[in-house]
Amino acid sequence: MAADLEEIKAMIEAALPGSEVAVLDETGTGDHLRAVVRASQFEGLSRLEQHRLVKAAVRSRFDDGTIHALSITALKPDDPV
Amino acid sequence: MADAELTERLQALISENPVLLLMKGTPTEPRCGFSLRTVQILDRMGIEYGAIDVLPALQPLREVTTELSDWETFPQLYVKGDLVGGCDIVEEMFASGELAELLGVEQPEMPDIPEAGDLPAQSPPLDIERN
Repeated sequence: MAADLEEIKAMIEAALPGSEVAVLDETGTGDHLRAVVRASQFEGLSRLEQHRLVKAAVRSRFDDGTIHALSITALKPDDPV
Repeated sequence: MADAELTERLQALISENPVLLLMKGTPTEPRCGFSLRTVQILDRMGIEYGAIDVLPALQPLREVTTELSDWETFPQLYVKGDLVGGCDIVEEMFASGELAELLGVEQPEMPDIPEAGDLPAQSPPLDIERN
């Protein structure tokens, strides 16, 4: 079952209020996604902690097998893309 | 609850191997694109590293690493006992030079990108024959 990209985006935005999120289907199969997330909540966090926040937001879609892989680009508000 | 014996074995391997990669497949035969990309970076660093194929015990190992490191996806790179991250983080740290610093090696030379002038002005014409 392919993931609903809008739903994944909404789940990340809900977990990180005020964030800017883009979710891309990297393989065209709807189960290998990339999330580009710009969030002020990443300030002061290690990369591991930044990625954990994003993955925790969509864990239910990993657990039910909708998503097989989620690549994450985590950006702080001032980072260049 | 993760398997206690497996947890102990993995902890021992993490402490015995200064650089340890938990991956799908082996360095010579990766079974996942993300594991392949991480192996390619480690190979570029010219270091020795230990590698564990997680596929034979994927779910039990996922439970172990979730408890040990709060990380449930593979690959996972451990350096000096600490989780560094998965493929995304390793790639970012490779590009920035942080990985070389962490591993105590020189940043490998990046391949030369040909100058525009070195490239042919245009591709040779394609030759398609209709039979």
